[in-house]
Amino acid sequence: MTAREKVWSAVREGITDILPGARIEGDLHLRDLGADSVDRVEIILGVLDRLGVEEPLSSFSEIPNINALVDFLVERVR
Amino acid sequence: MNVGIEALNVYCGLAQIPVRTLFEGRGLDQERMGNLMMDNRSVGLPFEDPVTNAVNAAKPVVDRLTEEQKNRIEIVITSTESGLDYSKSVASYVHEHLGLSRNCRVVEVKQACYAATAAVQLAVGYVASGVSPGAKALVIATDVALVDERAAYAEPAMGAGAAAVLVSDDPRVLAVDLGAFGNHSYETMDSARPSPSFDIADSDRSLFAYLDCLTNCFESYRAKVEDVDFATTFDYLAMHTPFAGMVKAAHRKLMREFAGSASAEADFTRRVLPSLTYPSRVGNLCSGSVYLALCSLIDNGALDGGARVGLYSYGSGCSSEFFSGLVDRGSADELAAMRIGEHLAGRCELTFEEYTRVLPGNLTCLVPEQDRQVDVAAYDDIVGRAHVERDLLVNTGTKDYRRTYEWLSR
Repeated sequence: MTAREKVWSAVREGITDILPGARIEGDLHLRDLGADSVDRVEIILGVLDRLGVEEPLSSFSEIPNINALVDFLVERVR
Repeated sequence: MNVGIEALNVYCGLAQIPVRTLFEGRGLDQERMGNLMMDNRSVGLPFEDPVTNAVNAAKPVVDRLTEEQKNRIEIVITSTESGLDYSKSVASYVHEHLGLSRNCRVVEVKQACYAATAAVQLAVGYVASGVSPGAKALVIATDVALVDERAAYAEPAMGAGAAAVLVSDDPRVLAVDLGAFGNHSYETMDSARPSPSFDIADSDRSLFAYLDCLTNCFESYRAKVEDVDFATTFDYLAMHTPFAGMVKAAHRKLMREFAGSASAEADFTRRVLPSLTYPSRVGNLCSGSVYLALCSLIDNGALDGGARVGLYSYGSGCSSEFFSGLVDRGSADELAAMRIGEHLAGRCELTFEEYTRVLPGNLTCLVPEQDRQVDVAAYDDIVGRAHVERDLLVNTGTKDYRRTYEWLSR
């Protein structure tokens, strides 16, 4: 499994854990999936846990969509 | 030496609106109410401002002191992000209307919702230093909300009011653990009040900064204090509460990081929930928020045998602190005299129409005007439905930029 596939898998699991049945598309922001601010925290923490990555939450303040989230995390797991 | 909070009180206005009513009135998505964990928000009336809130919170604290004790209040500090003037402090009005000694330091501090804790800690240090044995310092965190429909889901979470904290060497409410604290601060633009009539906020940036700071403050606390275990050292936790659901997320994060548990529900119910009863009925009290949470914990927790409380204060911009102290049955007896639960229950419940009628007055209450008259009697219908048993200070306007006040008799 490539780093990108691993990250996508963790992101999908992290999102569906909090928002079951969410239609995940890369150009959407988590809020477009119906995630409120608390959901967004839980999703990001859940993804970081799955990947075993430690990263301040403030690193995610300006990430515009799920594609960018994946790109950012791919750099961290390498 | 024992130093800490001798007396504590909050004033959260005369009116409140149920969060459900506000959601319905604004057409907000009801599913979002779950994570908010809010029941009501306090609503300021157009004759309430940071001075009246501060005085109305502190008056019962001051009135319980003898004249001699009152004269030992050597420092009055207002902490606010609702300042009234670039030069003249809210504290100057508060000092006057509380009738405090003129041999007194009077000053105002600002660092969003964190500043009151900075003031409390500086006061604790002053008292503990022994430079003026027996001195007391009165710290009052006081704020108003500047939100309307433009704030979307932040509107139901904003509260208004003040917390009065009397610091001395007779800490009947909370004995502060001297030297046990952890700080974390850095520059960020997560929320701010660039003018007297509106706020700006980046909800993700603010939430993320609050949570990052909590982790870093706790790390800093743990580095200073021996044998600290997040899961067992603190019997209770009281945190700055922008909305109750955020504190739940914060607790879950700390449990995940420091207690190795992602499943934190039972621990949350036992150690955190008592601190959220009042905040969920008031909303974000801003600078006074962590002290409202502390009041809630003391009034609703099981304190027989004593308990150590971990406290977390965060202010956008940002600065933050984790510190701790001891409470016991005596704390509960002391705070019970303030009848905070009755005060909150006695606020008048507003309809959505009444809420929208008072909102414009709230949004302009900080704007400087040379001359202004506030028609207090215009709100008699609302005031009459609030259950109040004491005189309250009200703002009647400004005259040559000086704010004018009267006591509203009950």
